Amino acid sequence: MASHATTEHTLTPGEIAKPNTGWIWRVFGILVLITAVEFVFVFLMHPSTLRNSIFIVLTIFKAFFIVGEFMHLKHETKGLIWTILVPVALLVWLLVALITEGSFIGEVLQNMFK
Amino acid sequence: MAQSTTLQSPAAAATHDAPRTGNWDGGNEPFKASYGKLMMWFFLLSDAFTFAAFLTTYGMIRHKHEVFTGEAKDFVFSTRWWPIPDHVFNAFPGMGEANVPLGFVALMTMILILSSVTMVLAVEAGHRMDKKDVQKWLLWTILFGSTFLLSQAWEWSHFIHGHAEPTIMADGTKLFGANLAMNQYGPVLFADLFFFITGFHGTHVFSGVCLLVWCFIATTNGTFEKRGHYEMIEKIGLYWHFVDLVWVFVFTFFYLV
Repeated sequence: MASHATTEHTLTPGEIAKPNTGWIWRVFGILVLITAVEFVFVFLMHPSTLRNSIFIVLTIFKAFFIVGEFMHLKHETKGLIWTILVPVALLVWLLVALITEGSFIGEVLQNMFK
Repeated sequence: MAQSTTLQSPAAAATHDAPRTGNWDGGNEPFKASYGKLMMWFFLLSDAFTFAAFLTTYGMIRHKHEVFTGEAKDFVFSTRWWPIPDHVFNAFPGMGEANVPLGFVALMTMILILSSVTMVLAVEAGHRMDKKDVQKWLLWTILFGSTFLLSQAWEWSHFIHGHAEPTIMADGTKLFGANLAMNQYGPVLFADLFFFITGFHGTHVFSGVCLLVWCFIATTNGTFEKRGHYEMIEKIGLYWHFVDLVWVFVFTFFYLV
């Protein structure tokens, strides 16, 4: 995407560079669009695993743009990117593991006296 | 090896000790990020652990409960199954009992995303040392952040007081709204998780607004201009975007799924 560095032409002391905000509004547009798409799915689709998966994928897209562009992580060094991503990936593992566990506990409780 | 860091203006550097440049005496910047920004990233990572714990708890408890299997239009609140969110969050301020499923939360989401945008604009203005623009965008961010907080206060108040139609329990008691011990929407833990997750997020927004107000005062006093850089705005900005990011996840897992 757009480079974030301000233009390199020499500024006279006291002069303020022109704002470079096109990329910010573009990312904003993408975030609004994804949220709008989520609402389309809420009202046009019946709840199902597929619908939930669509929501999760769209959420990850939004997270990518917020973290990558707004928090500038995409433009940091590879080391920093991995330092942030690896622990978060482990958290996702924890999430999936405990949700599976939850389903199992539910099944046991609901069938206990059958 | 003498790299000029982006943090110090030549004027500021001249007043300090000679810059440290060796790899082992503090002159080396890990990941080419300043100390402050790096520590903010690590703090945010640890904060992500907290919110991940909340969402994991939510996922596990929700999956433990029964799912309502009928048609969405036949859905009624019951402690037997987990509620469908668009039946719980369907009120809009000033519209009485009109059914606006997820309307208000959509507005809140937009407000928070917008506040994130004005925050980046403030950071961008800081890079250009444009004090006026930094002030302008910080004020917008504070405005949107406070609006979000007020919206959440309304949302909580409505959730606590409940819908006009009570939920009638098996023993005939009529139940309105919610507290930590019982609620009209579904299992007890549904309301508990709502209070804890959105409450914890709201606390973060509140801290963010306080930090932004402090940043605005410091900018106005020229603190950052004298320092030669607006890195503080960037660090607070990282925090603010993280709060927005958490909301994106809360929004998906609490309101959509």
